[in-house]
Amino acid sequence: MTNTDVIEIDPVEQDEAMETIPFCNVRLPEGLLGFEHMKDYLLIAKPAEAPFRWLQVKNNPSLAFVVIDPACFMPDYQPDIPQSDVDFLGLFSPDDAAVYVIVTVSGVRRATVNLKGPIVINRSTGLAKQVVIANASQYSVQHPLPVNGNAD
Amino acid sequence: MLILSRKSGESIVIDGRIHVKVMRVDGETVKIGIEAPYDVPVHRREVYEEIQRSNQGALTRQSAELPKLPLAAAAKPKRVTVKSL
Repeated sequence: MTNTDVIEIDPVEQDEAMETIPFCNVRLPEGLLGFEHMKDYLLIAKPAEAPFRWLQVKNNPSLAFVVIDPACFMPDYQPDIPQSDVDFLGLFSPDDAAVYVIVTVSGVRRATVNLKGPIVINRSTGLAKQVVIANASQYSVQHPLPVNGNAD
Repeated sequence: MLILSRKSGESIVIDGRIHVKVMRVDGETVKIGIEAPYDVPVHRREVYEEIQRSNQGALTRQSAELPKLPLAAAAKPKRVTVKSL
């Protein structure tokens, strides 16, 4: 796998070969809610699975979370990140941040995403946090993903 | 846990900068007003618990089979804007 320290992973450009699957290091000093002890991850983009990515637990690689960039299905998603989190992550402009939401997969035809608690990553440093957005009441913690085969 | 009794209209101050006021008591329901600096997140406890449960349900193994998104959705996405920046 190739280590790209900046999160500009474009899986479309990559070969199918396992050796060229891009990944980068992501560190959550506060872990995830309910998993505060899991702080170090690899964000992995397997081309065949785009736009989904894996947030793999570094010291227990068999464990992972499926994540997705919410812009893939909800371009008008506007998470209101509290200033204390903006400061914590060292963000100065919208381009500094990569936003991912955690996917709960319950079969090939059903998946939901948590829009109340996105993972916000500083693109240059890989420092990240699961943020409880200030406008959490506007969004669902189980928002259905528009997957193939479902009537919408 | 610090336990205080307050009547309607009375307040509590936390850390010198967060004010919690009992606005109204209506039977079992207490209406609470909170004044806090902009950078202090305030949520109903259930939000944190919901997210925790959601995380627990989402944890998986990498052998999981992933759904297929409709083709249009799999195109390169426009970047999500972060509202507060």
